[in-house]
Amino acid sequence: MAPLQKRALYGLAFGVVWAIAIIVVFIVKGGVSTFTEDQGFRIVIDVLWVGGLIFYGILMLTLRKQSQVDERDRLILGRAPVVQLWAVIFSMVIWTIVLTESYWDQGIPPIFMYLVFMSTIIVSAVAQSIGILIGYWRMGRND
Amino acid sequence: MTKVKNRIRRLRFDHDEMTQQELANRAGCTRQTIIALEQGKYVPSIELAFRIAKAFGVTLEEVFQYEEST
Repeated sequence: MAPLQKRALYGLAFGVVWAIAIIVVFIVKGGVSTFTEDQGFRIVIDVLWVGGLIFYGILMLTLRKQSQVDERDRLILGRAPVVQLWAVIFSMVIWTIVLTESYWDQGIPPIFMYLVFMSTIIVSAVAQSIGILIGYWRMGRND
Repeated sequence: MTKVKNRIRRLRFDHDEMTQQELANRAGCTRQTIIALEQGKYVPSIELAFRIAKAFGVTLEEVFQYEEST
């Protein structure tokens, strides 16, 4: 397994765990209404989100130092943003439809701007790893 | 449809069973790229192709062959 591929695999594993942890804590603690009213809850989510982001960054930097990246890896890395772009667009479409349909009458609460932004960052990070892994898989199939 | 074939595996054998890692170090790429090249799953850039040829001390044409099929 190429060092970059290994890095993407670790990144994907961490990204999935990170996203699930935030969603679980969010649901268990009471969801959107509690998030709006309870500052302590918001801080918990902030710590999970920012902490996860910092940990993800450190993980990527640490693995990058160990990695030897050549032209083939750079080719795959260069194609990964396509997956990232589509994942972000897809998540935006989902958010738009769900929020519009759920809050058509009363207007979308401002708190959702925070949640949309937070989820987009996570989706983008996870999608980059997926894009890299798809790149290696496609190259392995000799497409 | 075009195909670029190579004789990397054969040339490694001819050079005292040079390891993939050794060739990768000499050519400045990863061992996984050498594996992909030998399996015909990757076509290298001109620059890498020249570096591989130089690592074996042969010309580019002795390592890579361009085959055109219909």
